[in-house]
Amino acid sequence: MNRLARGLILPVLLLLAWEFGVGLMVEPGQAPLPSRVAAAGLGLLRSGDLPWGIAQSLGRVFSGFLVASMIAIPIGLVMGASRAVERNLDPLVESFRPIAAIAILPLAILWFGTGTPAALFIVAYAAFFPLIINTIAGVKRVDRRLVDAARTMGVGRVTILRTVIVPGALPQIGVGLRLALGVAWTAIIAAELAVGAKSGGGGSGGIGQMMFVFYAYSIELNSIVVCMLAVGLVALLLDRGLRAALSHAMPWGRA
Amino acid sequence: MRAPPALRSVGVYLRTMLVFMLAWHLVSALVGNRILLPAPLVVAEAFWRLALAGELLEHATISIARMLLAVCLATMVALPFGVLMGLYRWAEELVDPIVELLRPISGIAWIPLALFLFGIGHALPVYIMFYAALFPILLGTIAGVRGVERRLIDASRTMGVPMTRIVGHVVLPAATPSILVSLRLGVASAWTSVIAAELVGAPSGLGYAIQWYRDMLVTPRMMSFIAMVGVSGFICDAGLRWLQRRLTPWAPMRAVLA
Repeated sequence: MNRLARGLILPVLLLLAWEFGVGLMVEPGQAPLPSRVAAAGLGLLRSGDLPWGIAQSLGRVFSGFLVASMIAIPIGLVMGASRAVERNLDPLVESFRPIAAIAILPLAILWFGTGTPAALFIVAYAAFFPLIINTIAGVKRVDRRLVDAARTMGVGRVTILRTVIVPGALPQIGVGLRLALGVAWTAIIAAELAVGAKSGGGGSGGIGQMMFVFYAYSIELNSIVVCMLAVGLVALLLDRGLRAALSHAMPWGRA
Repeated sequence: MRAPPALRSVGVYLRTMLVFMLAWHLVSALVGNRILLPAPLVVAEAFWRLALAGELLEHATISIARMLLAVCLATMVALPFGVLMGLYRWAEELVDPIVELLRPISGIAWIPLALFLFGIGHALPVYIMFYAALFPILLGTIAGVRGVERRLIDASRTMGVPMTRIVGHVVLPAATPSILVSLRLGVASAWTSVIAAELVGAPSGLGYAIQWYRDMLVTPRMMSFIAMVGVSGFICDAGLRWLQRRLTPWAPMRAVLA
Protein backbone atom coordinates (compact mmCIF):
# COMPACT_ATOMS: atom_id res chain seq x y z
CA MET A 1 0.00 0.00 0.00
CA ASN A 2 2.75 2.39 1.00
CA ARG A 3 4.68 1.49 -2.13
CA LEU A 4 1.59 1.97 -4.25
CA ALA A 5 0.89 5.37 -2.69
CA ARG A 6 4.45 6.53 -3.26
CA GLY A 7 4.36 5.23 -6.80
CA LEU A 8 1.25 7.29 -7.51
CA ILE A 9 2.69 10.62 -6.26
CA LEU A 10 4.63 11.60 -9.36
CA PRO A 11 2.16 10.49 -12.05
CA VAL A 12 -0.70 12.29 -10.27
CA LEU A 13 1.38 15.43 -9.77
CA LEU A 14 2.40 15.43 -13.42
CA LEU A 15 -1.17 14.95 -14.57
CA LEU A 16 -2.33 17.85 -12.38
CA ALA A 17 0.50 20.06 -13.62
CA TRP A 18 -0.41 19.13 -17.20
CA GLU A 19 -4.12 19.81 -16.69
CA PHE A 20 -3.75 23.16 -14.95
CA GLY A 21 -0.28 24.32 -16.02
CA VAL A 22 -0.86 24.01 -19.75
CA GLY A 23 -4.32 25.51 -19.43
CA LEU A 24 -2.84 28.61 -17.78
CA MET A 25 0.05 29.08 -20.18
CA VAL A 26 -1.37 28.32 -23.60
CA GLU A 27 -4.43 29.60 -25.35
CA PRO A 28 -7.21 27.22 -24.35
CA GLY A 29 -8.17 26.24 -27.93
CA GLN A 30 -6.73 22.89 -28.96
CA ALA A 31 -4.02 22.17 -26.39
CA PRO A 32 -4.29 18.56 -25.21
CA LEU A 33 -5.33 18.34 -21.58
CA PRO A 34 -5.89 15.15 -19.61
CA SER A 35 -9.61 15.85 -19.34
CA ARG A 36 -9.92 16.50 -23.07
CA VAL A 37 -7.82 13.44 -23.87
CA ALA A 38 -10.14 11.35 -21.74
CA ALA A 39 -13.16 12.80 -23.53
CA ALA A 40 -11.61 12.19 -26.95
CA GLY A 41 -10.73 8.65 -25.89
CA LEU A 42 -14.31 7.94 -24.86
CA GLY A 43 -15.56 9.33 -28.14
CA LEU A 44 -13.18 7.19 -30.18
CA LEU A 45 -14.10 4.11 -28.18
CA ARG A 46 -17.79 4.71 -28.56
CA SER A 47 -17.64 5.34 -32.30
CA GLY A 48 -15.66 2.11 -32.68
CA ASP A 49 -12.86 3.82 -34.63
CA LEU A 50 -10.19 3.04 -32.08
CA PRO A 51 -11.03 -0.66 -31.55
CA TRP A 52 -11.29 -1.13 -35.32
CA GLY A 53 -7.93 0.56 -35.93
CA ILE A 54 -6.25 -1.52 -33.25
CA ALA A 55 -7.83 -4.69 -34.64
CA GLN A 56 -6.55 -3.91 -38.14
CA SER A 57 -3.03 -3.22 -36.91
CA LEU A 58 -3.03 -6.31 -34.69
CA GLY A 59 -4.19 -8.48 -37.56
CA ARG A 60 -1.21 -7.34 -39.64
CA VAL A 61 1.19 -7.78 -36.75
CA PHE A 62 0.07 -11.34 -36.08
CA SER A 63 0.13 -12.41 -39.72
CA GLY A 64 3.56 -10.86 -40.32
CA PHE A 65 4.79 -12.34 -37.08
CA LEU A 66 3.53 -15.77 -38.10
CA VAL A 67 5.26 -15.56 -41.48
CA ALA A 68 8.52 -14.50 -39.82
CA SER A 69 8.32 -17.34 -37.28
CA MET A 70 7.70 -19.92 -39.95
CA ILE A 71 10.80 -18.79 -41.85
CA ALA A 72 13.16 -17.75 -39.06
CA ILE A 73 12.74 -20.58 -36.56
CA PRO A 74 13.44 -23.51 -38.94
CA ILE A 75 16.41 -21.71 -40.51
CA GLY A 76 17.67 -20.75 -37.06
CA LEU A 77 17.42 -24.35 -35.85
CA VAL A 78 19.45 -25.60 -38.78
CA MET A 79 22.00 -22.79 -38.42
CA GLY A 80 22.38 -23.46 -34.72
CA ALA A 81 22.78 -27.19 -35.24
CA SER A 82 25.19 -27.12 -38.16
CA ARG A 83 28.40 -25.14 -38.07
CA ALA A 84 28.78 -25.25 -41.85
CA VAL A 85 25.30 -23.88 -42.53
CA GLU A 86 25.79 -21.17 -39.94
CA ARG A 87 29.12 -20.02 -41.39
CA ASN A 88 27.63 -19.75 -44.84
CA LEU A 89 24.34 -18.05 -43.97
CA ASP A 90 25.58 -15.80 -41.18
CA PRO A 91 27.01 -13.14 -43.56
CA LEU A 92 23.55 -12.65 -45.07
CA VAL A 93 21.88 -12.28 -41.67
CA GLU A 94 24.55 -9.93 -40.38
CA SER A 95 24.49 -7.83 -43.55
CA PHE A 96 20.77 -7.17 -43.42
CA ARG A 97 20.35 -6.94 -39.66
CA PRO A 98 21.62 -3.34 -39.30
CA ILE A 99 19.16 -2.16 -41.98
CA ALA A 100 16.15 -0.91 -40.04
CA ALA A 101 12.80 -2.26 -41.21
CA ILE A 102 11.53 1.25 -41.84
CA ALA A 103 14.34 1.86 -44.31
CA ILE A 104 12.92 -0.97 -46.43
CA LEU A 105 9.43 0.54 -46.33
CA PRO A 106 9.75 2.69 -49.47
CA LEU A 107 10.98 -0.41 -51.31
CA ALA A 108 8.07 -2.43 -49.94
CA ILE A 109 5.61 0.23 -51.11
CA LEU A 110 7.24 0.13 -54.52
CA TRP A 111 6.84 -3.64 -54.72
CA PHE A 112 3.52 -4.21 -53.00
CA GLY A 113 1.69 -0.88 -53.08
CA THR A 114 0.35 0.91 -50.04
CA GLY A 115 -1.96 -1.81 -48.81
CA THR A 116 -1.67 -4.64 -46.35
CA PRO A 117 1.04 -6.69 -48.17
CA ALA A 118 3.63 -3.90 -47.77
CA ALA A 119 2.82 -3.66 -44.06
CA LEU A 120 3.05 -7.43 -43.71
CA PHE A 121 6.43 -7.45 -45.40
CA ILE A 122 7.78 -4.79 -43.02
CA VAL A 123 6.47 -6.60 -39.94
CA ALA A 124 7.91 -9.92 -41.08
CA TYR A 125 11.26 -8.32 -41.88
CA ALA A 126 11.42 -6.61 -38.49
CA ALA A 127 10.44 -9.75 -36.56
CA PHE A 128 12.78 -12.01 -38.52
CA PHE A 129 16.07 -10.93 -36.97
CA PRO A 130 15.35 -11.22 -33.22
CA LEU A 131 13.74 -14.59 -33.96
CA ILE A 132 16.57 -16.10 -35.97
CA ILE A 133 19.34 -14.79 -33.70
CA ASN A 134 17.70 -16.06 -30.54
CA THR A 135 16.89 -19.41 -32.13
CA ILE A 136 20.54 -19.88 -33.10
CA ALA A 137 21.67 -18.86 -29.61
CA GLY A 138 19.10 -21.20 -28.06
CA VAL A 139 20.27 -24.20 -30.06
CA LYS A 140 23.89 -23.45 -29.18
CA ARG A 141 23.01 -23.26 -25.51
CA VAL A 142 21.62 -26.80 -25.50
CA ASP A 143 23.79 -29.02 -23.33
CA ARG A 144 26.24 -30.77 -25.67
CA ARG A 145 26.29 -33.83 -23.39
CA LEU A 146 22.58 -34.42 -23.86
CA VAL A 147 23.02 -34.47 -27.62
CA ASP A 148 26.05 -36.77 -27.33
CA ALA A 149 24.20 -39.08 -24.94
CA ALA A 150 21.30 -39.36 -27.36
CA ARG A 151 23.68 -40.08 -30.23
CA THR A 152 25.52 -42.72 -28.20
CA MET A 153 22.22 -44.46 -27.77
CA GLY A 154 21.79 -44.49 -31.52
CA VAL A 155 19.01 -41.91 -31.78
CA GLY A 156 18.56 -40.53 -35.28
CA ARG A 157 19.32 -36.91 -36.18
CA VAL A 158 15.71 -35.89 -36.75
CA THR A 159 14.61 -37.42 -33.46
CA ILE A 160 17.44 -35.64 -31.63
CA LEU A 161 16.32 -32.36 -33.17
CA ARG A 162 12.74 -32.99 -32.14
CA THR A 163 13.23 -34.37 -28.64
CA VAL A 164 16.51 -32.82 -27.42
CA ILE A 165 17.43 -29.67 -29.31
CA VAL A 166 14.03 -28.03 -29.79
CA PRO A 167 12.87 -28.41 -26.16
CA GLY A 168 16.27 -27.24 -24.94
CA ALA A 169 16.25 -24.20 -27.21
CA LEU A 170 12.60 -23.26 -26.61
CA PRO A 171 13.15 -20.86 -23.68
CA GLN A 172 15.58 -18.78 -25.74
CA ILE A 173 13.24 -18.97 -28.73
CA GLY A 174 10.56 -17.64 -26.37
CA VAL A 175 12.77 -14.65 -25.63
CA GLY A 176 13.11 -14.16 -29.37
CA LEU A 177 9.33 -14.35 -29.80
CA ARG A 178 8.81 -11.65 -27.18
CA LEU A 179 11.44 -9.34 -28.66
CA ALA A 180 10.07 -9.96 -32.14
CA LEU A 181 6.50 -9.21 -31.16
CA GLY A 182 7.55 -5.91 -29.57
CA VAL A 183 9.58 -4.96 -32.64
CA ALA A 184 6.73 -5.99 -34.94
CA TRP A 185 4.24 -3.78 -33.12
CA THR A 186 6.61 -0.79 -33.37
CA ALA A 187 7.21 -1.52 -37.04
CA ILE A 188 3.52 -1.65 -37.93
CA ILE A 189 2.92 1.76 -36.33
CA ALA A 190 5.84 3.21 -38.26
CA ALA A 191 4.75 1.56 -41.48
CA GLU A 192 1.16 2.78 -41.21
CA LEU A 193 2.33 6.27 -40.27
CA ALA A 194 4.74 6.50 -43.17
CA VAL A 195 2.29 4.95 -45.63
CA GLY A 196 -0.25 7.53 -44.51
CA ALA A 197 2.31 10.30 -44.85
CA LYS A 198 3.48 9.29 -48.30
CA SER A 199 0.29 8.15 -49.96
CA GLY A 200 -1.78 11.14 -48.90
CA GLY A 201 -3.86 9.18 -46.43
CA GLY A 202 -4.78 6.46 -48.90
CA GLY A 203 -6.96 3.98 -47.08
CA SER A 204 -4.74 1.32 -45.57
CA GLY A 205 -6.22 1.70 -42.11
CA GLY A 206 -4.77 0.77 -38.75
CA ILE A 207 -3.94 2.83 -35.72
CA GLY A 208 -0.79 4.37 -37.23
CA GLN A 209 -2.85 5.63 -40.15
CA MET A 210 -5.41 7.03 -37.71
CA MET A 211 -2.69 9.01 -35.99
CA PHE A 212 -1.52 10.42 -39.28
CA VAL A 213 -5.03 11.46 -40.26
CA PHE A 214 -5.46 13.19 -36.90
CA TYR A 215 -2.17 14.94 -37.51
CA ALA A 216 -2.52 15.99 -41.12
CA TYR A 217 -6.24 16.34 -41.84
CA SER A 218 -8.44 16.84 -38.85
CA ILE A 219 -5.70 18.20 -36.50
CA GLU A 220 -6.93 16.70 -33.26
CA LEU A 221 -4.08 16.64 -30.79
CA ASN A 222 -6.20 15.03 -28.11
CA SER A 223 -7.01 12.12 -30.37
CA ILE A 224 -3.31 11.72 -31.22
CA VAL A 225 -2.54 11.38 -27.53
CA VAL A 226 -5.34 8.83 -27.21
CA CYS A 227 -3.76 6.80 -30.01
CA MET A 228 -0.32 7.03 -28.37
CA LEU A 229 -1.73 5.72 -25.12
CA ALA A 230 -3.50 2.94 -27.00
CA VAL A 231 -0.23 2.00 -28.74
CA GLY A 232 1.51 1.79 -25.37
CA LEU A 233 -1.29 -0.18 -23.78
CA VAL A 234 -1.41 -2.71 -26.61
CA ALA A 235 2.39 -3.11 -26.48
CA LEU A 236 2.19 -3.78 -22.75
CA LEU A 237 -0.67 -6.27 -23.10
CA LEU A 238 1.06 -8.08 -25.97
CA ASP A 239 4.23 -8.49 -23.95
CA ARG A 240 2.50 -9.56 -20.73
CA GLY A 241 0.21 -11.90 -22.61
CA LEU A 242 3.01 -13.60 -24.51
CA ARG A 243 5.10 -13.85 -21.34
CA ALA A 244 2.23 -15.51 -19.46
CA ALA A 245 1.55 -17.87 -22.36
CA LEU A 246 5.23 -18.82 -22.61
CA SER A 247 5.73 -19.51 -18.92
CA HIS A 248 2.51 -21.51 -18.96
CA ALA A 249 3.63 -23.52 -22.00
CA MET A 250 7.13 -24.25 -20.69
CA PRO A 251 7.44 -24.05 -16.94
CA TRP A 252 11.09 -25.11 -17.20
CA GLY A 253 12.07 -21.98 -19.12
CA ARG A 254 13.04 -18.59 -17.77
CA ALA A 255 11.04 -16.45 -20.17
CA MET B 1 48.54 -24.77 -45.96
CA ARG B 2 45.24 -23.28 -44.82
CA ALA B 3 44.62 -19.56 -44.75
CA PRO B 4 44.43 -17.85 -41.32
CA PRO B 5 40.92 -17.83 -39.76
CA ALA B 6 40.29 -14.10 -40.32
CA LEU B 7 41.06 -14.38 -44.02
CA ARG B 8 39.00 -17.53 -44.33
CA SER B 9 35.94 -15.89 -42.77
CA VAL B 10 36.33 -12.99 -45.18
CA GLY B 11 36.40 -15.57 -47.94
CA VAL B 12 33.22 -17.23 -46.67
CA TYR B 13 31.57 -13.82 -46.40
CA LEU B 14 32.48 -12.92 -49.98
CA ARG B 15 31.36 -16.32 -51.25
CA THR B 16 27.95 -16.04 -49.56
CA MET B 17 27.39 -12.50 -50.77
CA LEU B 18 28.46 -13.49 -54.28
CA VAL B 19 25.82 -16.24 -54.33
CA PHE B 20 23.27 -13.74 -53.04
CA MET B 21 24.21 -11.22 -55.74
CA LEU B 22 23.94 -13.90 -58.42
CA ALA B 23 20.47 -14.87 -57.22
CA TRP B 24 19.49 -11.20 -57.14
CA HIS B 25 20.82 -10.73 -60.66
CA LEU B 26 18.83 -13.69 -61.94
CA VAL B 27 15.61 -12.51 -60.29
CA SER B 28 16.08 -8.99 -61.64
CA ALA B 29 16.63 -10.41 -65.12
CA LEU B 30 13.39 -12.37 -64.72
CA VAL B 31 11.47 -9.33 -63.48
CA GLY B 32 12.96 -7.22 -66.23
CA ASN B 33 11.88 -3.91 -64.71
CA ARG B 34 14.62 -1.45 -63.80
CA ILE B 35 12.38 0.50 -61.46
CA LEU B 36 11.03 -2.48 -59.53
CA LEU B 37 14.26 -4.43 -59.17
CA PRO B 38 17.47 -3.15 -60.76
CA ALA B 39 20.37 -5.56 -61.16
CA PRO B 40 23.00 -5.57 -58.38
CA LEU B 41 25.66 -4.11 -60.66
CA VAL B 42 23.43 -1.15 -61.50
CA VAL B 43 22.91 -0.53 -57.78
CA ALA B 44 26.64 -0.89 -57.14
CA GLU B 45 27.34 1.68 -59.81
CA ALA B 46 24.79 4.08 -58.30
CA PHE B 47 26.34 3.52 -54.88
CA TRP B 48 29.78 4.30 -56.26
CA ARG B 49 28.58 7.47 -58.03
CA LEU B 50 26.75 8.69 -54.92
CA ALA B 51 29.82 7.96 -52.81
CA LEU B 52 32.04 9.91 -55.20
CA ALA B 53 29.62 12.81 -55.23
CA GLY B 54 29.77 12.85 -51.45
CA GLU B 55 26.01 12.53 -51.18
CA LEU B 56 26.08 9.26 -49.25
CA LEU B 57 28.54 10.61 -46.71
CA GLU B 58 26.66 13.88 -46.35
CA HIS B 59 23.31 12.33 -45.44
CA ALA B 60 24.89 9.59 -43.32
CA THR B 61 26.87 12.20 -41.37
CA ILE B 62 23.71 14.18 -40.70
CA SER B 63 21.84 11.12 -39.45
CA ILE B 64 24.75 9.88 -37.33
CA ALA B 65 25.37 13.34 -35.86
CA ARG B 66 21.72 13.56 -34.86
CA MET B 67 21.92 10.10 -33.38
CA LEU B 68 25.07 10.89 -31.37
CA LEU B 69 23.54 14.11 -30.05
CA ALA B 70 20.35 12.30 -29.06
CA VAL B 71 22.20 9.43 -27.38
CA CYS B 72 24.44 11.89 -25.47
CA LEU B 73 21.38 13.75 -24.23
CA ALA B 74 19.68 10.48 -23.29
CA THR B 75 22.78 9.34 -21.41
CA MET B 76 22.99 12.65 -19.56
CA VAL B 77 19.43 12.17 -18.34
CA ALA B 78 19.53 8.41 -17.83
CA LEU B 79 22.81 8.16 -15.89
CA PRO B 80 21.91 10.34 -12.86
CA PHE B 81 18.40 8.91 -12.68
CA GLY B 82 19.69 5.39 -13.13
CA VAL B 83 22.30 5.75 -10.38
CA LEU B 84 19.76 7.25 -7.98
CA MET B 85 17.16 4.62 -8.80
CA GLY B 86 19.69 1.83 -8.49
CA LEU B 87 21.01 3.04 -5.14
CA TYR B 88 17.90 4.26 -3.37
CA ARG B 89 14.62 2.44 -3.10
CA TRP B 90 12.60 5.64 -2.64
CA ALA B 91 13.91 7.07 -5.90
CA GLU B 92 13.00 3.89 -7.72
CA GLU B 93 9.51 3.81 -6.21
CA LEU B 94 8.97 7.45 -7.22
CA VAL B 95 10.18 7.33 -10.80
CA ASP B 96 9.55 3.74 -11.86
CA PRO B 97 5.77 4.10 -12.43
CA ILE B 98 6.40 6.94 -14.93
CA VAL B 99 9.01 4.87 -16.71
CA GLU B 100 6.73 1.86 -16.91
CA LEU B 101 3.87 4.04 -18.17
CA LEU B 102 5.91 5.66 -20.92
CA ARG B 103 8.20 2.81 -21.96
CA PRO B 104 5.63 0.77 -23.91
CA ILE B 105 4.85 3.84 -26.07
CA SER B 106 7.44 3.46 -28.79
CA GLY B 107 9.39 6.49 -29.98
CA ILE B 108 7.77 6.14 -33.38
CA ALA B 109 4.30 6.63 -31.89
CA TRP B 110 5.50 10.07 -30.76
CA ILE B 111 6.15 11.23 -34.32
CA PRO B 112 2.75 12.87 -35.05
CA LEU B 113 2.66 14.74 -31.74
CA ALA B 114 6.34 15.69 -32.06
CA LEU B 115 5.64 17.05 -35.54
CA PHE B 116 3.28 19.50 -33.87
CA LEU B 117 5.69 20.37 -31.10
CA PHE B 118 8.88 20.71 -33.13
CA GLY B 119 7.84 21.02 -36.76
CA ILE B 120 9.95 19.57 -39.55
CA GLY B 121 13.66 19.89 -38.92
CA HIS B 122 16.51 18.70 -36.71
CA ALA B 123 14.61 18.78 -33.44
CA LEU B 124 12.09 16.11 -34.42
CA PRO B 125 14.48 13.21 -35.18
CA VAL B 126 16.71 14.17 -32.26
CA TYR B 127 13.76 14.12 -29.88
CA ILE B 128 12.45 10.79 -31.20
CA MET B 129 15.90 9.20 -30.90
CA PHE B 130 16.43 10.68 -27.44
CA TYR B 131 13.20 9.07 -26.34
CA ALA B 132 14.02 5.75 -28.00
CA ALA B 133 17.51 5.57 -26.45
CA LEU B 134 16.49 6.79 -23.00
CA PHE B 135 14.78 3.67 -21.67
CA PRO B 136 17.38 1.02 -22.58
CA ILE B 137 20.15 3.18 -21.08
CA LEU B 138 18.15 3.93 -17.95
CA LEU B 139 17.23 0.29 -17.33
CA GLY B 140 20.81 -0.85 -18.02
CA THR B 141 22.21 1.70 -15.60
CA ILE B 142 19.78 0.68 -12.87
CA ALA B 143 20.66 -3.00 -13.39
CA GLY B 144 24.37 -2.19 -13.42
CA VAL B 145 24.20 -0.14 -10.21
CA ARG B 146 22.14 -2.86 -8.52
CA GLY B 147 24.78 -5.39 -9.52
CA VAL B 148 27.57 -3.52 -7.71
CA GLU B 149 28.74 -5.56 -4.78
CA ARG B 150 27.04 -4.12 -1.73
CA ARG B 151 30.06 -4.76 0.50
CA LEU B 152 32.24 -2.43 -1.57
CA ILE B 153 29.83 0.44 -1.03
CA ASP B 154 29.42 -0.40 2.66
CA ALA B 155 33.18 -0.64 3.13
CA SER B 156 33.75 2.80 1.61
CA ARG B 157 30.99 4.26 3.72
CA THR B 158 32.50 2.76 6.87
CA MET B 159 35.71 4.55 6.00
CA GLY B 160 33.81 7.82 5.79
CA VAL B 161 33.95 8.36 2.03
CA PRO B 162 31.18 10.76 1.00
CA MET B 163 28.45 9.31 -1.21
CA THR B 164 29.33 11.48 -4.23
CA ARG B 165 32.87 10.06 -4.30
CA ILE B 166 31.59 6.53 -3.76
CA VAL B 167 29.43 6.95 -6.86
CA GLY B 168 32.38 8.23 -8.86
CA HIS B 169 34.98 5.73 -7.65
CA VAL B 170 33.05 2.59 -6.80
CA VAL B 171 29.58 2.50 -8.29
CA LEU B 172 30.17 3.90 -11.77
CA PRO B 173 33.31 1.88 -12.56
CA ALA B 174 31.61 -1.33 -11.43
CA ALA B 175 28.47 -0.54 -13.41
CA THR B 176 30.32 0.45 -16.60
CA PRO B 177 30.06 -2.93 -18.40
CA SER B 178 26.31 -3.00 -17.96
CA ILE B 179 26.00 0.65 -18.96
CA LEU B 180 28.00 0.05 -22.13
CA VAL B 181 25.82 -2.90 -23.11
CA SER B 182 22.74 -0.75 -22.59
CA LEU B 183 24.36 2.01 -24.64
CA ARG B 184 24.61 -0.41 -27.55
CA LEU B 185 20.95 -1.31 -27.13
CA GLY B 186 20.06 2.38 -26.93
CA VAL B 187 21.97 3.20 -30.10
CA ALA B 188 20.33 0.28 -31.93
CA SER B 189 16.91 1.43 -30.80
CA ALA B 190 17.61 5.05 -31.76
CA TRP B 191 18.94 4.00 -35.15
CA THR B 192 15.73 2.11 -35.90
CA SER B 193 13.59 5.14 -35.20
CA VAL B 194 15.75 7.75 -36.93
CA ILE B 195 14.82 6.44 -40.37
CA ALA B 196 11.12 6.61 -39.53
CA ALA B 197 11.48 10.12 -38.14
CA GLU B 198 13.43 11.35 -41.16
CA LEU B 199 11.12 9.62 -43.59
CA VAL B 200 8.20 11.65 -42.28
CA GLY B 201 9.62 14.83 -40.86
CA ALA B 202 13.12 15.98 -41.74
CA PRO B 203 14.53 17.87 -44.71
CA SER B 204 17.80 15.88 -44.67
CA GLY B 205 19.37 12.64 -43.52
CA LEU B 206 19.33 9.05 -44.77
CA GLY B 207 15.59 8.53 -44.27
CA TYR B 208 14.87 11.68 -46.24
CA ALA B 209 17.20 10.64 -49.06
CA ILE B 210 15.54 7.22 -49.33
CA GLN B 211 12.15 8.83 -49.56
CA TRP B 212 13.37 11.46 -52.04
CA TYR B 213 14.73 8.92 -54.52
CA ARG B 214 11.70 6.71 -54.05
CA ASP B 215 9.47 9.63 -55.05
CA MET B 216 11.70 10.20 -58.07
CA LEU B 217 11.52 6.46 -58.84
CA VAL B 218 15.33 6.22 -59.02
CA THR B 219 15.44 2.79 -57.43
CA PRO B 220 19.22 2.15 -57.69
CA ARG B 221 19.92 5.31 -55.68
CA MET B 222 17.19 4.49 -53.18
CA MET B 223 18.72 1.05 -52.68
CA SER B 224 22.15 2.62 -52.25
CA PHE B 225 20.86 4.74 -49.40
CA ILE B 226 19.10 1.74 -47.85
CA ALA B 227 22.44 -0.08 -47.94
CA MET B 228 24.05 2.99 -46.38
CA VAL B 229 21.63 2.71 -43.44
CA GLY B 230 23.02 -0.76 -42.82
CA VAL B 231 26.64 0.33 -43.25
CA SER B 232 26.25 3.28 -40.86
CA GLY B 233 24.44 1.18 -38.28
CA PHE B 234 27.17 -1.44 -38.47
CA ILE B 235 29.92 1.18 -38.09
CA CYS B 236 28.22 2.72 -35.04
CA ASP B 237 27.91 -0.66 -33.36
CA ALA B 238 31.51 -1.55 -34.22
CA GLY B 239 32.62 1.72 -32.60
CA LEU B 240 30.72 0.90 -29.43
CA ARG B 241 32.13 -2.63 -29.36
CA TRP B 242 35.61 -1.13 -29.63
CA LEU B 243 34.75 1.16 -26.71
CA GLN B 244 33.59 -1.86 -24.71
CA ARG B 245 36.88 -3.64 -25.30
CA ARG B 246 38.90 -0.55 -24.40
CA LEU B 247 36.97 0.51 -21.30
CA THR B 248 35.94 -2.84 -19.89
CA PRO B 249 38.38 -5.48 -21.10
CA TRP B 250 37.51 -7.65 -18.10
CA ALA B 251 33.82 -7.92 -18.98
CA PRO B 252 32.68 -10.82 -21.17
CA MET B 253 31.59 -9.61 -24.61
CA ARG B 254 27.96 -10.53 -24.58
CA ALA B 255 26.27 -10.62 -27.91
CA VAL B 256 23.33 -8.25 -28.12
CA LEU B 257 20.48 -10.53 -29.08
CA ALA B 258 17.89 -7.92 -29.93
